[in-house]
Amino acid sequence: MDSTFISLMHGFAIAFQPDNLWYAFLGCLVGTLVGVLPGIGPLSGISILLPVTFGLNATQAVIMLAGIYYGSQYGGSTTSILMRIPGEASSVMTCIDGNAMAKKGRAGAALCIAAVGSWVAGTFGVIMLTLVAPPLATIALKFGPPEYTAMLILGLIFLAYMSSSSLVRTLLMACIGLLLGMIGIDNMTGHFRYSFDLAELGDGIGIVPVAVGLFGLGEILSTPSHTVVGEVITPKFRELLPNRQEWRESFWPIIRGSGLGFIIGIIPGSAHIISSFLSYALERRVSKHPEEFGKGAVAGVAGPESANNSASTGAFVPMLALGIPTGPITAVLIGALMVHGVNSGPQLVSEHPDVFWGFVASMYVGNLMLLALNLPLVGLFVTVLRIPYAYLYPLIIMFCIVGVYEVSHSVVDVYIMLIMGILGYALKKFSFDPAPLVLGLVISPIFEQSLRQSLIMSNGDYTIFFMRPISLGLLIVSAIMLALSAYTFMMKRRDWRATLAEVEAGEVQQ
Amino acid sequence: MKLRADHVAGAAFVIFGAAIIALSGDLPTGQLSMPGSGFLPKIVASLTILFGLLLVLRGGESPAFSELAWDDGKHALLVTAIASIAIGLYEHLGFFFTMLLMMVTLLLVIERRNPIRAVVYSLAIVAFTYVSFVYGLKTPLPEFSF
Repeated sequence: MDSTFISLMHGFAIAFQPDNLWYAFLGCLVGTLVGVLPGIGPLSGISILLPVTFGLNATQAVIMLAGIYYGSQYGGSTTSILMRIPGEASSVMTCIDGNAMAKKGRAGAALCIAAVGSWVAGTFGVIMLTLVAPPLATIALKFGPPEYTAMLILGLIFLAYMSSSSLVRTLLMACIGLLLGMIGIDNMTGHFRYSFDLAELGDGIGIVPVAVGLFGLGEILSTPSHTVVGEVITPKFRELLPNRQEWRESFWPIIRGSGLGFIIGIIPGSAHIISSFLSYALERRVSKHPEEFGKGAVAGVAGPESANNSASTGAFVPMLALGIPTGPITAVLIGALMVHGVNSGPQLVSEHPDVFWGFVASMYVGNLMLLALNLPLVGLFVTVLRIPYAYLYPLIIMFCIVGVYEVSHSVVDVYIMLIMGILGYALKKFSFDPAPLVLGLVISPIFEQSLRQSLIMSNGDYTIFFMRPISLGLLIVSAIMLALSAYTFMMKRRDWRATLAEVEAGEVQQ
Repeated sequence: MKLRADHVAGAAFVIFGAAIIALSGDLPTGQLSMPGSGFLPKIVASLTILFGLLLVLRGGESPAFSELAWDDGKHALLVTAIASIAIGLYEHLGFFFTMLLMMVTLLLVIERRNPIRAVVYSLAIVAFTYVSFVYGLKTPLPEFSF
C-alpha cells in the first residue's frame, strides 16, 4: 500500500507538470464537445484526434486521449438533458428523466447533478483503479500463452453475452474483426495473407481507419440532415444549483451508480452503456416512488450518469493491468500507446511507471477539471448544439479524412475508412453492432499468436488449456456464459439485454 | 417464403466465409503441433459460415427485406461519391483546396445551402484547421503538387 501511495505521489508530480495539465485540459474540453455533439462518439473522437498526439510523448498522448474518453461521458448528459437526444450512447437513459426535469424548469439542477455525480463516480473509479490495477498486473505476470488465449476467448464471449444484440450477431462481427486482423504478414511464418499484392496491406489493417469508418463516417451516411431536429432548452445560470431535496434524492443513486459502474466497467463489452441501463433499472427498483421515473426523477439522472463515468474508468483496469481491451475505445487507446512504443499490460507498471502513474494521477485532476468546466461553460455547449447538423457533418468528414491520412500518410488507409463507412451503413441497416468487429480486429494478432504458441509448447496437445488452473477457470466461465445465452435463446426469454436493445432503439429514433 | 433481412445478411456472411477459405488455398494449415499461417483464418472463416447459416435459419424472426428503409440511400450515395473523389484528389490538390471543394460541394449539392454562406463557412473552417495543424500542432498536411 505504501509503495502504491509513493508511486501515486510520483504520478501527481508528473500530472502537475504544466504540459501534462494542458493536455489533460485539452482532452477534457474536446471530450466534452465530442460528448455534447450528437453523431460523434468518443470512439470516433479519439480515433480522429489520434494523429494529433504523434508529436507528444506517450504520457501526454494517453492523458489527452483518456481525457476525451471520460470527458465525453460528462458531455453526453448535456445533450440528453437539453435536447432529449443522447450525445453519446451511454447517455440514452439520462434522456428520459433528465429531459423531463428540464421541461419542468429544472434543467440547471439536472446538469449539476449529472456533473457532480460524474465527478464523484469518476474519482471513485480512479481510486479503485489505483488500488486494483497494480496487484492485478503482478498476478498477470504469471500468465503464459494458454492463459492469454483463454482470457481473450472469455473476453469475446463476455462481450457477446453482454451485448444488446444477439449472440450470433455479436460473434459474427467478432469473426469478421478477427479475419480483418489477419490481413498482412504473418508474424510467425512471414507469409503474406490476403494483401492482394498491395504493399500498404502488408502491415495489416489499422484500427483507426476501421474505427473512424464504422463509427464516424458510417453514422454520417445513415443520418441525412433533415432527420436531425431538436429543440434546445437553455438553462439559466442562477438555476444551476439543485435544491436540498434534489441533493438528498441524488446522494444514494450516485453512490450505488459509482460502485455498480466500476464493477461492470471491468467486464468486457460496451460497459459504459450497459452500466447506465442497469443503474437506471436498479434505481427504479429500489425507489419508494417508481412511478416518478420517466417524469423527472432525480435518481434517474444521478444513477446512470454516475454509473457510466465509473464504468469508463473501470474499463482502464484490464487495459492497463492485462493489456486486454474491454471494448473498442480501450482498444484504440492500446493502439495509441503502441504507436508511442509502449505496450500496455502487466509490464506497464514496472517498465513505464511514468506513463502508468502519470496517467492515473491525471485522471484525478481531469475529473476535477471536468466538474469546473461543465457547469460554467454550459452556455457555450448550448451554442454548439445550435449549429445545424447540415454544417456540422461536412466538418466531421474532413476530420475523418485528415485524421486517418495523418496516421500513416497513406491514401489507401483513407479508402479503407471509406469502405468501412459503407460497411458501417450496411451493418446498421441489418441491425448489427460494429463494436465487436473493432474488438476482434484489435485482439486478432494477440489471440493468434498466443493460440499458436500454446499449441507449439504443448506439442499439439490442445488439453493444455484445461490442464492449467487459470486457463481452465477462464474457460469454465466462458462455457457458463455460452450456456446462459443458449438458455435465454431456447426459452425465448426476454431479459435485460432485450429491454436494453429496445430502449436504445427507441431513444435513438427520438 | 418471404425474403427476410437476416436471410440476406446471413447469406452474405456465408459467401464471405467461403471466399476467405477459397483465398486461403495457398496458406499452409500446418499441424496442431506447428500451426501454419492458414490455421486460424480457416477456423474463423468456418465459424463465420456457421454463424451465417444460423442467421439464415433464424431469419424468420427478422423484418422482411423489402421493408428495410433505404430513404437515406441517396444521401449516403452522394456523400460517398463526393468523399471518394476528395480522397482521390487529396494528395494532388493538397489539404486546403481538396477540403474546401469537398465542403462547398457537400453544402451546395446535398444540403442546398446559400452559396455565399457555404463558401464563407467552408473557407473559415478549412483555413482554421490548416493553421491549427501546420502551425499549432506542427503536423504537416499535404500541399498542392500538380
